[in-house]
Amino acid sequence: MAAPSTSQTARPGSDFFLRFRRSRNAMIGSVIVAFVVLMALFGPLLTPHDPVKVNVLASWRAPDSTHWMGTDALGRDVFSRIVLGGRVSLIVSMSVLAVTLTIGTVLGMCAAYFGGWVDALVMRTVDIIFAFPELIFAILVAAVLGPGTLTVIIALSMVWWPGIARLTRSLVLGLRHEMFIEAAIVSGTPAHKIMRRHFLPNIVAPLIVRASIGVGFIIMAEATLSFLGIGIQEPEPTWGAMIRDGLSQLRTDPHLALFASLALGITMIGFNLLGDGLRDVLDPKVRN
Amino acid sequence: MIEYAARRLAGLLGVWFLAIVITFVAVQFVPGDPIMALLSDRSGDADLEARLRADYGLDRPLPVQFLDYLAHIADGTFGLSFRFANTTVFDVISGGLLISPILAITAILIAVPLGVVLGVFAAQRANSWADTAVILGLVSGISIPNFAMAAFLVYLLSIKWSVLPVAGWGTPQHLVMPVLILVIPPTAYVARLTRTYMLEVLQQDFVRTARAKGLRERLVIYRHALKNTFVPLLTTVGIIFGGLLSGTFVVETIFNIPGLGRLAIESIFARDYPVTMTIVLLFTMFYSIINLIVDLAYTALDPRIRLTNTKA
Repeated sequence: MAAPSTSQTARPGSDFFLRFRRSRNAMIGSVIVAFVVLMALFGPLLTPHDPVKVNVLASWRAPDSTHWMGTDALGRDVFSRIVLGGRVSLIVSMSVLAVTLTIGTVLGMCAAYFGGWVDALVMRTVDIIFAFPELIFAILVAAVLGPGTLTVIIALSMVWWPGIARLTRSLVLGLRHEMFIEAAIVSGTPAHKIMRRHFLPNIVAPLIVRASIGVGFIIMAEATLSFLGIGIQEPEPTWGAMIRDGLSQLRTDPHLALFASLALGITMIGFNLLGDGLRDVLDPKVRN
Repeated sequence: MIEYAARRLAGLLGVWFLAIVITFVAVQFVPGDPIMALLSDRSGDADLEARLRADYGLDRPLPVQFLDYLAHIADGTFGLSFRFANTTVFDVISGGLLISPILAITAILIAVPLGVVLGVFAAQRANSWADTAVILGLVSGISIPNFAMAAFLVYLLSIKWSVLPVAGWGTPQHLVMPVLILVIPPTAYVARLTRTYMLEVLQQDFVRTARAKGLRERLVIYRHALKNTFVPLLTTVGIIFGGLLSGTFVVETIFNIPGLGRLAIESIFARDYPVTMTIVLLFTMFYSIINLIVDLAYTALDPRIRLTNTKA
């Protein structure tokens, strides 16, 4: 076989960082995301307060030099809780991503590769879940399972995997009749090997884009469930629940709702900018 | 076209049936026995327990219960509430039945035109400071969840400047804040899409021709270019509507609005699953009708899609 025409195909990722640095969205987004991740990892070192320690004598303190963002109804330090809330958000979204990427790509690849009843079964299931508005389906699952961290992870995974499966299926269908796939099939390569060695590496980029856009949605959905009271429960701090608690106190002690909203808003902007940026950089369709 | 519409309508009924099955199955997975919860302190009373089980039809085999469920949906009562004695689900939800749809429809009627105008504004000034400012606003509008937005807006508009009431329902003023909060995310979404589509369309030959023959820029934009963004925009209306329906859960909870969204959440806490499931079912049915209308509309509008759909 003739050598493929050199420089462009030789190192497909070579200009990734160049394009990434040139994308304003991607840069601003990754700075914000890096800040959020660092705060979630090391933030607790910055504050001497225990985020779950109740001190009713110190309830609803305004921000000062000891409590940078004040205290809540139970006298807990808001800054510590916001930092820990970020950690909870990230843990939940990473768990949901891990679950949905696994289930979604495996089912999507099987549907596309085997076709027939496997395809029908997977895709009809996807269609049924898509028939519900996303968050309402998550609320349905959360209502049945009862509140809790595990519930949130399960509910959001159930909402998010169909999108991954559908995307994977269409990507694999696009590759199905490529020469190197046909060659692998006729040379008797087993199905699981074809999927892992040949399909997966070729669909990673769009899946990364999808996942990075997904983080924003998952953080938002987790916060919404917790805000409605059917998500993660006390004493675990979550931004959604903090905003709910703060809203009722907005007239006299606005700091809780405002700081928690700020944390959630900035994080969402960061992940969305990063997702948009990655899409611009990785998606060949919008590349000029 | 008619054949396509008929096929889609059949599909809609199929989706409704599956949604009914899912809500029925979901209730079976709820931990705990609703009858024991109803009995609470009189849990030793075997006669009462048997009577309640018979009233709710819970003494019958599951397939029969499912047929009962279907029958109650068909006659519009939706079965009995667990929270209120001798009250059908319909009586519980009828008071707020229209509030969520009205909120969602009002929001979409404002959001789409406003988003289109903003998007055209940004596209005409692509890569200028005005464009960057609009984009920054749009990213924030799409990103910041509605309840976080509510915290800022209530703080500024109701508490700092006291121009709007904090919460409640009944007067036009009470409507402003909830609708505003529902409107922001879809407006930003539509504006961003409009900007992207407009930038694509403005590079096409027919736009250059229109400009070359000396047509005023306003006519080029609004008569020629904008028209071509409508079909791709229309396809997103379904997604926007789904987001708005979910948004009513949040907004009604924040502002104490007696609509179905708040009732669904309240019913979860009261373990009144028939009410929650009925509301989920109604919202899903409503959502699927909107999606069907959207699909039929753009199929009818775009000859390319119309031809492929009719042939397929």
